[in-house]
Amino acid sequence: MQINDTLKPAEVALLYQSHNAWLRGWLRSRVGCQEHAADLAQDTFVRLLRARQVSPLREPRAYLSSIARGLMIDQFRRHALERAYQESLAHLPEGEVPSEEHRLVILDSLERLDRALHQLKPRARQAFLLAQLDGLSIPQIALRLEVSRATVERDLAKALGVCYRLRYAEL
Amino acid sequence: MPSSDRAPAQAQVDQAIEWLVKLRFDTPSPATEQQFQQWLARHPLNAQAWQRVSNLSDELAGLPTELSRRTLNGTQRQRINRRDHLKLLAVLAVGGGLGWAMREPLGLPALMADSSTGTGERRRLQGSDGSQIQLNTATAIDLRFSAEQRELILLRGEVSLASNPGDNRPFRITTGVGALGTHDAQLLLRENDQGLLLAVRSGEATLFPSSASPRLVHAGETLQVSPSGQYQPATLHGDPWGWTDGVLSVQQMPLAEFCTELARYRPGLLRCAPEVAELKVSGTYQLGDTEQILRLLARSLPVRIDYRTRYWVSIGAA
Repeated sequence: MQINDTLKPAEVALLYQSHNAWLRGWLRSRVGCQEHAADLAQDTFVRLLRARQVSPLREPRAYLSSIARGLMIDQFRRHALERAYQESLAHLPEGEVPSEEHRLVILDSLERLDRALHQLKPRARQAFLLAQLDGLSIPQIALRLEVSRATVERDLAKALGVCYRLRYAEL
Repeated sequence: MPSSDRAPAQAQVDQAIEWLVKLRFDTPSPATEQQFQQWLARHPLNAQAWQRVSNLSDELAGLPTELSRRTLNGTQRQRINRRDHLKLLAVLAVGGGLGWAMREPLGLPALMADSSTGTGERRRLQGSDGSQIQLNTATAIDLRFSAEQRELILLRGEVSLASNPGDNRPFRITTGVGALGTHDAQLLLRENDQGLLLAVRSGEATLFPSSASPRLVHAGETLQVSPSGQYQPATLHGDPWGWTDGVLSVQQMPLAEFCTELARYRPGLLRCAPEVAELKVSGTYQLGDTEQILRLLARSLPVRIDYRTRYWVSIGAA
């Protein structure tokens, strides 16, 4: 099933030949740095290999630029997160500061969680954090947010659904 | 993800999520646990879906609470949603480590946008639906056309749109202040200090303010919309459409306001001294040459133009 709905490597190779130079130019005009643009173009084609996209592409350049745009935004998000993480460290007692190795694991998890949270309504976001981070139970959350248990259950299910999609189903 | 593992179907994932919510975040009865065990054994992909979903939850539950909360709050403050992510990027550009983003005077919005103009630039473009779009100075927009709708997102600046009524899809316009829907309108949108200026020249549009009921806006109306969703007829000292013809057309406009207008089209600083701020300006000026406009001002009003540098200009009493 996954094999059939991704582009074949040969097709990607062809796209690469026809559009890589254009894409690098497009990116360069946005990021203003040749090397950075080349890296992002490379990443774009790597994503294309994994993307579930029925071939042939009708508008390959529009598609490529939308992937590239997503990559640029991801990078900025990651920078935002790392900055926020650094700032948060300042508030922690020294003994609680995670090791460098652990830091990357935490950041990766937080990055996904952050993206998921952005797709949720405020109430669902709150419920999900109370459940996952603080370990509160559904009745406790219902009490805290002044909503029914059924609502909390729905919110949590929705949040987990988003997390799942981000982890397993997206590009 | 190894290619050998078959992915569970959406229905199986949904069921696994339901189980997880019941088992992990609530106190399950023995009967519930038994039903869960039966479900788990029913299909290998049920087990796989469970594995994936519970891994997700374990991973999040293992995060350090305090640090994670603070970090997430930090990014929430610069919240990214589809409409806001460009604002976040603008915030980031100040943070260093992203120096390449700062070379563009307009910041990231312009870099990331589908179409943008720099200071003093104007651009005319045609949507794939046949609609006519004009961008005024220092403007950035995104265009998204799908089978269901046409959408223009005003990221910053000022834009005019003549929606092609021959296209059946509704045209949605998204701004930081509120959204609009139309089919046939010719309209103008401008971000300003008080929110958003909306002028409809022909056809009609529906304004969806952020916190008020929708309002039909008719041809000839000009509204000022505040970020909190209030709107009222705008009082203008000029023709808001002037720039679409390349002119700044004003009537009895206080000089201070005129300077603010003119400054939008010029890089650098344009200052107006308080003692001449209330002088009135009337006329139609060509935007293509702002230096010429300054010279004309000095001729028609008792003012003097001082060039501290090319990009630092003060208007004072003559």
